[in-house]
Amino acid sequence: MAASTQKPPLNREELRDIIDLSLWAGQILLQHGAETQRVENTVHRLGTNLGCEWMDILVSPNAIVATTISGEEFRTKIRRVVGLQVDMTKVSAINRLSRRIESGELDRFGVRSELQRISQIRSHYKRWQVVLMVGLACAAFSRLFGGDAVVFGMTFVASAIATFVRQELSRRHFNMFLVVIATAFVAGLIASLPSAFDWGDDPQIALASSVLLLVPGVALINSADDIIKGHLVTGITRGISGGLVSLGIALGLSLAMEIMGVSGL
Amino acid sequence: MNDITNILWEVTQDMFWSSIAALGFSMLFNVPTRTLIGCVACGAIGHGSRTLAVELGATIVSGSLIGAVIIGLMGYLFAKRWHAPATVFTISGSIPLVPGRIAYSAMLSLIQLSTTDPKTGETLLVRASINGIQTMMILGVIAIGISAPTLFFERTRPIV
Repeated sequence: MAASTQKPPLNREELRDIIDLSLWAGQILLQHGAETQRVENTVHRLGTNLGCEWMDILVSPNAIVATTISGEEFRTKIRRVVGLQVDMTKVSAINRLSRRIESGELDRFGVRSELQRISQIRSHYKRWQVVLMVGLACAAFSRLFGGDAVVFGMTFVASAIATFVRQELSRRHFNMFLVVIATAFVAGLIASLPSAFDWGDDPQIALASSVLLLVPGVALINSADDIIKGHLVTGITRGISGGLVSLGIALGLSLAMEIMGVSGL
Repeated sequence: MNDITNILWEVTQDMFWSSIAALGFSMLFNVPTRTLIGCVACGAIGHGSRTLAVELGATIVSGSLIGAVIIGLMGYLFAKRWHAPATVFTISGSIPLVPGRIAYSAMLSLIQLSTTDPKTGETLLVRASINGIQTMMILGVIAIGISAPTLFFERTRPIV
């Protein structure tokens, strides 16, 4: 590393604070659905703008490792990141925070209280609103796939109830795959009614659309994005976990279809 | 002339439904309220342009690329306009493009393979592979498309 020292060297205390803050920001990003490139850039920008000279970052699928360097001193820290709960408000808030630090508006103490605030941001939308709108979204997909009014209605009911089930199970901290399988099962039971009783024109569309709320779209898109930008480890891991979630959806669905005695293809 | 009106009517309907789909998923992803309209616009125009491209003769994969590039450009502009990262718009906007139905078909065929008779399993196997490969291709072009503006306009030396 070229030591073109313009910044005053920091002591160990300050370095510890900086590494803590930038890793915290990185953890919020990784946990709430940011791609790897963004995590790396943000952590680096935060650290260097808060006063350290250089920062090296390793983003792995469920941990971030970073080293801050300043003058003669360096410190390294690992931060575990568990779970993925997409929350674009937090990603956006960290982005703005990083800009404010860049313009010199915030010091270390300001950053800490901002991060505290960001990590406690609640959802903008009420739970029933999300249930309703996700139900409608899946029903809209059934229209895009060419379903008729009956299929539209049944998909709406199935996905709305499935969204509710998913919220309740996630709140009780069930295993991620169990949540997916159980939710797909519930959605499949309701969405196979049109096929079982032969309602509507193409009743199988209801089955395909009602589970779309579970499709790990963010994980899969981020996976491809990571791979394109050279972050193969995180990209492949995200791809595999997305594939496993899709398999979980298919498992829950086929269980429901077996019970209802319908075929989905 | 009649043909063109038909296609336009088709695309208009398509944009309406995909905007609802994008709205629902944007709320699931808890996007900031002020960016909601941008996310919905990305979803509607992105999916609408894919449908238009497919109607005009593109394959589903190249159509998805066109849709994703448009979403990427819109996200790039909206990010400046609304002071939010482009990801907010591009991720929520590209959800309607994600090949949920194709992935569903691939996975279900794969699972049904476990109970099928070897003599008749061929159809299922072919269906699983075609749909699986299509899913991966579409996801790949979506990722290329939505990050195209950054890949073209922001070619700085990596800072990390």
